[in-house]
Amino acid sequence: MNEPTVFIVDDDQAVARSLRWLIESVRLKVETFSSAQAFIDGYDAGKPGCLVLDVRMPGMSGLDLQERLAAQRIHVPIIFITGHGDVQMAVRAVQAGAFDFVEKPFNDQDLLDRIQKAIALDADQRGKEALRVQLRSLFAGLTPREREVLDLVVEGLSNKAIANSLGLSAKTVEVHRAKVMDKMQARSVSDLVKLSIQNQAG
Amino acid sequence: MHNEWSDAGQMFPGNDLMWLALVILGGTLTAALIALVVVLARLQEAERKISEKESNHESILDRLQENEYRLRTIIESEPECVKLQAEDGTVLEINPAGLRLVDANQPADIIGRKIYTVVAPEYIDIYRENMRRVFAGEAMVYEFRAITLKNRIAWMETHAAPLRDARGNIYALLGITRDITEHKQSEEQARRHQTELARVARLSTMGEMATGIAHELNQPLSAIANFARGCIRRLRSGDMSPEDLAEPLEEVCEQAERAGEILRHVRDFVRKSELQLRPVDVNQIVRSVVKFTDHEARQHRTMVRLHLGADLPKVQADSIMIEQVICNLVRNACEAMVEADSPRREVSIHTRGFGNDEVEIEIGDTGPGIDGTVIDQVFDQFFTTKPDGVGMGLSISRSIVESHGGRVRAESGGSGGTVVRFTLKTGGQPERNRERADSIHS
Repeated sequence: MNEPTVFIVDDDQAVARSLRWLIESVRLKVETFSSAQAFIDGYDAGKPGCLVLDVRMPGMSGLDLQERLAAQRIHVPIIFITGHGDVQMAVRAVQAGAFDFVEKPFNDQDLLDRIQKAIALDADQRGKEALRVQLRSLFAGLTPREREVLDLVVEGLSNKAIANSLGLSAKTVEVHRAKVMDKMQARSVSDLVKLSIQNQAG
Repeated sequence: MHNEWSDAGQMFPGNDLMWLALVILGGTLTAALIALVVVLARLQEAERKISEKESNHESILDRLQENEYRLRTIIESEPECVKLQAEDGTVLEINPAGLRLVDANQPADIIGRKIYTVVAPEYIDIYRENMRRVFAGEAMVYEFRAITLKNRIAWMETHAAPLRDARGNIYALLGITRDITEHKQSEEQARRHQTELARVARLSTMGEMATGIAHELNQPLSAIANFARGCIRRLRSGDMSPEDLAEPLEEVCEQAERAGEILRHVRDFVRKSELQLRPVDVNQIVRSVVKFTDHEARQHRTMVRLHLGADLPKVQADSIMIEQVICNLVRNACEAMVEADSPRREVSIHTRGFGNDEVEIEIGDTGPGIDGTVIDQVFDQFFTTKPDGVGMGLSISRSIVESHGGRVRAESGGSGGTVVRFTLKTGGQPERNRERADSIHS
C-alpha cells in the first residue's frame, strides 16, 4: 500500500513551508502547491492522503478547487484552512462535502488530529473502492449461465429447484455452482450472498 | 334854448332840487346794482369753485376706495397667508389663506388672539425675539414649528416686514407665511440619508480595513506558530539535532519581521489616508451642522447665532470629521446650559481668519462656564461633568483637530459661559479676512 501524502495548497509560500515543517514532524509525507491550478496539474489521484487547502487564494479559490475535484469524482478528503471571519465560507465548504475546517490561527495538535482522521477516511474510502473494483471484476468473470445460477443460489433455491427453473439437469447445475464458488473465491453460500449484496450496494 | 331851460327852471324852481335828488338816487342805485351784480358773479364763481373741489374730493375718495378694494381682493385671494400682528403678538388681520393655514373656521377664531396660540412652545421665545426685531425696523425671514388650532403640527416660514403709519411709526408686523412642512421633511430626509451614507461608508471602509489587516497578520503568525510547533515536536521526540533548528528558527524570525512590516504599513496608511483632506469651506460646514442640530437646540430652547467671517480661505480638512467636532461642541454647549438650567441659552459660533494660514472656529455658550481648576482636563479621555457622560466627545474632538494639524482650547468666556476655539490649516493662499455678523439662525 502507498504511503499517505498530505497535499498542501496555499498561495502563501511561508505558510506552506511552515505547514510542511509541522506536518513532517509526525512523519507524514508532504507535497506543497502554490495554487489550485498547480495542484490540478500536479496531483496524482492514485496517491492516498488528504488535502489541506487555504480557502482564500487569488485566482482559483479553495472552494473553486473543491468544486472542480467533485466534478471529476475525486473524493480526496479536504481540510480547509480559513482566516478570521471566514466561517460562513467554511460552513459552505463543509456542506459541499469538505471533510473539516480549521480556523487560523489554529492549534497544531488540532490540525494534526484532523489530518490523521482525514487520512484514515481516505484509506477507508480507497479500501472500499478497491473492493468494489475487485468485486466488479469477479462478477465480470462469470458466464451468463453462471450468473443465472448465482442469482438463484443467492435467492436460496436448491440445486433441484434451480435445475427446474433453468431447464437444466441437476448435475449441470452442480457443475456451474462449483465454478461460481471457485471464480468468486467463496467458501460457502453465505460468502456468495455477502458478495452479491456488496456488489449491488456498490 | 337857454331860455327855454331857464324858463323851465324859472317855471319850476322847486323842481331843480327834485332833479338833483333823482340824479343822485339814480347814480346810487346804478352803483348798487353794479355792486350787486359783481357780488353775485363772485358768489357764483366761488360756488363753482367749491363744487369743483367737491367733485374732485369725491373722485379722490372713489379712487382710494377702489385702491383699497383692489388691494383687499389681492390679499383675500392671495394663496399664501397674509397677516398683520400687533407688537404683543395679537393678530389684527388675516386673509382666508391664513385662516386655512392655522385651521381656523372663521376669522374670530384667530383675530384678536395672540399668534403664540399657534406657535410650538419651544419656538415661542425665538418668535418673540424675531417680533422684537421686526418692530425695531428689521425685515426678516424666519422658520418655526406651528401647532394649529386643530393641533396639526407644521413647519412654517414667515417673511416679516414692519408696517409704518404716515408718521413713520411701526404699528404692525406684516407677515407672509407658508407651510414648508413637506420641504422640511424632504430636506431632513435627504440630510439623514447623506449622513447615514457617509457613516456607513466610513464604517465599511474601517471594517474592510480591519478584516484585511487581520487576514494579513494571520499569515505570518500562523507560519511562526507552525515552525515553532514543528521544532518543539521534533525536540520532544528526540528527532532532531540542534543544527536542524537553525533553518526553521530563521523562518520564524523572517515571519516576525513580516508581521512588523504589515503593522508599519497599517500605521502609515492610517496616518496618511484616514483623513480625506480636501479644501473645504468652514462656514458651509458650520451651516450644515447648525441645520442638523437645529431641532435639538430648539428643544433645549437654545438660540444658535452665527457670526461667520466673510471671504475666509478654504481649509484642508475632512469635512465629516470637522462636522463631528462642531456637532460635539454645540451639543456639549446645549447640554451644559440645560444641565445648569441657564435662563439665557445661546450658542454663538464665530469663524474668522487666524494668523496667515489658519481659520479659527469658536463655539461659545451662555452656560455656567468651566471651573478654572479643571479647564485643562476637559479634553482628556473619560473626563466628564455630565452625570451620564462618558468623557470621550471632547477627547475625540481634540484628536480630530490635532490630526488636522490644528489646536483646540477651552476657556471661560468673558460674560460667563464657555468658549472653545479650534484652528484649521488653510494650506493655501491666505486671503483677506473681514468679519461681519453674517446671519442669525433662528
